Amino acid sequence: MKDGAHGLIAQLARFAGALRARDVRVGLGDEIDAATALTLVDLLDRDEVHRALRIAFKVPREAWDLFDRLFEEYWDGTTAPRGNSPRQALPRDHRGPMQWQWDGERVRLVAPDSGEDPAGDTPGYSPDPVLRRKSFERCTADEIAALERLLARLEARLAARRTRRLVPTRARGMVDLRRSFRHALGSEGDFLKLARRARAIDEPSLVVLYDTSGSMDAYTRMLVAFAFALRRTIRRVEIFAFNTSLVRVTRMVSPAQVARSLERLSAGVRDWSGGTRIGGCLEEFNAQYLGALVHRHTTVLVFSDGLDHGDARVLARAMRALRERAGRILWLNPLLGDPRYKPEAEGMRVALQFVDHFGPAHNLESLERLLRVVA
Amino acid sequence: MNEEIRSVQAEMERCGYIAEPAIATAVFLAREMRRPLLVEGAAGVGKTEIAKVLARMLGTELVRLQCYEGLDTHTALYEWNYQRQLLRLKIAEREGHDPGRLEELIFGREYLLERPLLRAITRREGPAVLLIDEVDRADEGFEAFLLEVLSDFQITIPELGTIRAEHVPFVLLTSNRSREISDALRRRCLYLFVEHPTLEKEIRILESKVPGVNGQLARAVARFVQRLRARELRKLPGVAETIDWTQALLRLHRNALDAETVFATLGCLLKDEHDLKATGQEAVAELLAYAAAGD
Repeated sequence: MKDGAHGLIAQLARFAGALRARDVRVGLGDEIDAATALTLVDLLDRDEVHRALRIAFKVPREAWDLFDRLFEEYWDGTTAPRGNSPRQALPRDHRGPMQWQWDGERVRLVAPDSGEDPAGDTPGYSPDPVLRRKSFERCTADEIAALERLLARLEARLAARRTRRLVPTRARGMVDLRRSFRHALGSEGDFLKLARRARAIDEPSLVVLYDTSGSMDAYTRMLVAFAFALRRTIRRVEIFAFNTSLVRVTRMVSPAQVARSLERLSAGVRDWSGGTRIGGCLEEFNAQYLGALVHRHTTVLVFSDGLDHGDARVLARAMRALRERAGRILWLNPLLGDPRYKPEAEGMRVALQFVDHFGPAHNLESLERLLRVVA
Repeated sequence: MNEEIRSVQAEMERCGYIAEPAIATAVFLAREMRRPLLVEGAAGVGKTEIAKVLARMLGTELVRLQCYEGLDTHTALYEWNYQRQLLRLKIAEREGHDPGRLEELIFGREYLLERPLLRAITRREGPAVLLIDEVDRADEGFEAFLLEVLSDFQITIPELGTIRAEHVPFVLLTSNRSREISDALRRRCLYLFVEHPTLEKEIRILESKVPGVNGQLARAVARFVQRLRARELRKLPGVAETIDWTQALLRLHRNALDAETVFATLGCLLKDEHDLKATGQEAVAELLAYAAAGD
């Protein structure tokens, strides 16, 4: 590294830039590590340089393929095709972009050419029992409020778990000798009061994956209401919409700004009412978010009818990865509300073996049943 | 390949660890750059073993901190010996000590219980190997605390003052990826991902770890397990399982694989009810055919 050192460092910086441009988190500190590593290895040995850089740049396993490609491009002098080809999209339903609208009382999905409301009824006050059995197809402000109350209870159920971490408490708990001693010193070594510690309550974490494909059309209306309610009641929640691609909608929804949120949702989620590729989308979720968002106390809630246009093996693989990591997987299928329905779609059958609870989700009553399962 | 990396690899092999170049390179770089090494990979690929071999290689002590949920500084770092302190207070009372001096009396080094982290940095005889095992099991808050210890290798005890490392230990962290390790901690370390071994490596591991296994059985077992890993399973068997299984086969005086033996001992490899059910007659027959084809 005497003459070529400068060129090598520049090359390293370009390489790091390329990694960054493709969302591999590489910082300046990692570049310095990489440079240091290069001074320690045999620069003429391609494989060794490759290994050393991968170790020093701390490249996670998921990014290895990408790393290998870029390594080839930048260090072997071969010019691989630049940029990634845009993600392959499945043929979609061309009915024009759908729009979410808020008519003051409820949100609805409107296709630009057909202005009429397919539900076509005027929502009014609904006495509770009726409301609870009513399908989510028609969601009013009252129902959203009821949904929120329900979710608050769901959160309380999910939060029943105590962590094993001990935090100071004024209530009952184990004696905290360390703090007790500190206190005792103030009173000449007499233990006037014992300090205590108890196990902290774990904040529940919830990941919601919502199918917004055409076959779920009637229920996607609910998604918006549901997303608002979730964001308002549960702090550690992440919401995703999927059909042919996966979109993280958590940040798009803010309960304080209904109109803005709807705008963002309309623009952000492509293919409302399009086809479904459940396996592919779950795999995308796993690749991008599984590590950061799902841990062994996370509850994953999937809303989908399981009508998958993709490969069932992909779905099985994705579900297995999810299964390995998540604390609990609940699959809610609105079609289950129909007594004639049997989960015979291949996607649904495959997914079922990895699921802790499989239940209906076509109205509030069915969601209440979920509460009992969670507890 | 760099001579020194080659020698690390040879040295590890001498101590009973078949290391592929990636592992040897990582160990070499971590040692030279004096950085902790974060090792990730599926369960049973031999992550913890790296630390053990390293301690053997360097002829030093292995200090192990097993992480778990709720792990706190009292168990990881130090704890005061309260019983002794209490006794001392009682005695002091009887002797009529000056109350102002009580604090000095009971917060001395001799009342301090060393836990692994403190032990690792105060070892006088030379740098220890510090293994922080399954760091993903500890709470996120604990990671932040680790960060502090791993960057300065010093520990501040309010009652005593700051304790500096006598020798900076060689630190190895392992994670099963049950949750993502924070970026800050990852950046502090060098990173190694260990995969399931290749067929050749697995055979060599078996031959070195299971004395008395013949080459043919080792090959058949390794081929069987490699094929099994390609199946859709919830929990893939690691090398540790392969070794267990081979040992079980030897105890049963089997020198070759047959369906009956495989079924009787499949529990050594598959530790999930669902996986066991999914591996029926047909699957085993196919796996056996594949295992035998290697001869």
